[in-house]
Amino acid sequence: MKTTAGNILELRACGINFGGLTAVSALEVGIGRHDLLGMIGPNGAGKTTVFNMITGVYQPTKGSVLFDGRNIVGLKPYQIAGLGIGRTFQNIRLFPSLTVYENIQVSFVKTLRHGFSHSTLQLPRFHEEERAVRASIVELLEIFNLTQVMNERATSLPYGDQRRTEIVRALATRPQLLLLDEPAAGMNATEKVELMRLIRLVKERFDIAILLIEHDMKVVMGICERIIVLDYGIKIAEGSPEAIRNNPSVIEAYLGEQAA
Amino acid sequence: MRNHASKMLLLAGILLSFIVSQFQSQINPYFLQIIIYIGINIILATSLNLINGYAGQFSLGHAGFMALGGYTGAVVSTTLGASAGAGSGLIILPLALILGGIVAALAGLLVGIPSLRLRGDYLAITTLGFGEIIRVVIQNLEFLGGARGFTGIPKLTNFFWVFSVVSITVFVVTNLVNSSYGKGFLAVRDDEIAAQAMGINTTKYKVIAFVTGAFFAGIAGGLYAHFVSYINPQQFSFIRSIEIVVMVIVGGMGNTPGVIIAATLLTILPEALRPIAEYRMVIYSLSLVIIMITRPQGLFGRELSVKSLLRRLRKQAMPV
Repeated sequence: MKTTAGNILELRACGINFGGLTAVSALEVGIGRHDLLGMIGPNGAGKTTVFNMITGVYQPTKGSVLFDGRNIVGLKPYQIAGLGIGRTFQNIRLFPSLTVYENIQVSFVKTLRHGFSHSTLQLPRFHEEERAVRASIVELLEIFNLTQVMNERATSLPYGDQRRTEIVRALATRPQLLLLDEPAAGMNATEKVELMRLIRLVKERFDIAILLIEHDMKVVMGICERIIVLDYGIKIAEGSPEAIRNNPSVIEAYLGEQAA
Repeated sequence: MRNHASKMLLLAGILLSFIVSQFQSQINPYFLQIIIYIGINIILATSLNLINGYAGQFSLGHAGFMALGGYTGAVVSTTLGASAGAGSGLIILPLALILGGIVAALAGLLVGIPSLRLRGDYLAITTLGFGEIIRVVIQNLEFLGGARGFTGIPKLTNFFWVFSVVSITVFVVTNLVNSSYGKGFLAVRDDEIAAQAMGINTTKYKVIAFVTGAFFAGIAGGLYAHFVSYINPQQFSFIRSIEIVVMVIVGGMGNTPGVIIAATLLTILPEALRPIAEYRMVIYSLSLVIIMITRPQGLFGRELSVKSLLRRLRKQAMPV
């Protein structure tokens, strides 16, 4: 199986059942290497379930997930992360006892060439690699304005900074595809504007594909080039922000039949 | 220079152990015994801290690993027919210790792989059961002396060996958790799902913590066996495991300096309380209860390190 040229990720007829409940069915999604794709839908539409299928937390019961031309169904979450899919969580999941710096350091573990023996015995190449890791972390912290707080415990930061740290941590795994799960949830208007600026910055600096789940229409409409709408686990619309805004079935899903 | 700081400390530790061991004969044997027990407990607590504190896997089977190391070491040194001379001890003891450590580490691997699918309480119960199985199996093995115990182990352990191993254990655990590679243990402890999403093979990390911890527990068992020269299965019951867990909790989970201090204090305390005889264990237990009520995060919490102290000082120096 090959992905369509230019697509980093494809879901083909992907579906998942939990017992008798179909959470997602026959979902077809393609994400280009440089896309910023939005995914919206009412509560319980199956958005986070889609994320969990892509990242291996859930195994799809039907269909396949192709990443870079390879079917990743059945792989463990850490293997999928290793292939190049980074993610953030709907409820921030920073490592609570680690500092901002250490949280990001964790993302470098998977690419370390020197493991147990080098680390315990501190052989010369170990120091070389530690220096390289440190330089990369410091660089990332500078890009995202976190240098000031790098030695603070991550969970003691203000909400917006925690979100930012989580995004930086995901970026530090050097993903080709970044999944953002409701990054604007719980943010005030100023923080949302800041978040949109941040996502654009990620897009420009790192040139990776981004799949964004978001409830906040302003954010999604503001930055996404293309949007997919889910309702009851089925894709009901796909297109530019303009087209989605005027799509009658989308309006129906959100506001009910009367409004459409 | 900074790159070699930990290696210098290791060398200094071993050298110091050597120098002090030259004066061993002048130390009161009772005090020497307590000092040796302190060292063995530091090895046990520091290695358990890697499993319980840093990797967050609650293990109650440390005495089982210790027993494996102790008995393996005893078999090795008695088979090789070592007399208590200093010359033979130089080769036979390290060999006995390392083989004991390896057997314990293999057991750690054996228990680790299936039981690390379990979490929290379930893992604790499984490891507790494992420790008891080892004890009961040894109790029924005639060639190990069964319930009567294993006698005639050459008395090869001295101050030098114990505190060299203490230095090595602290060196390994500290370097491990301070390295980028070691951050994987802390990530597994803090949030397994997030750790996996960052590409960390959580099972592998748990097994590594278990195997490394078991290895050093096995070595501690070997040192113990060659110090007391008589071991029996009762010395490695789950009570022993719990004593070690208490040291880790009192010192602060995931805080190596704290755990070293706690292991020292909790070894001295019952001895220091000997004059009041029958109230000894009451006071010992009571002080544990008080520590847990007033310092649930352990005497020293997670924040006893030179780095964090410096950071705190710097913060105070800077007017906000």
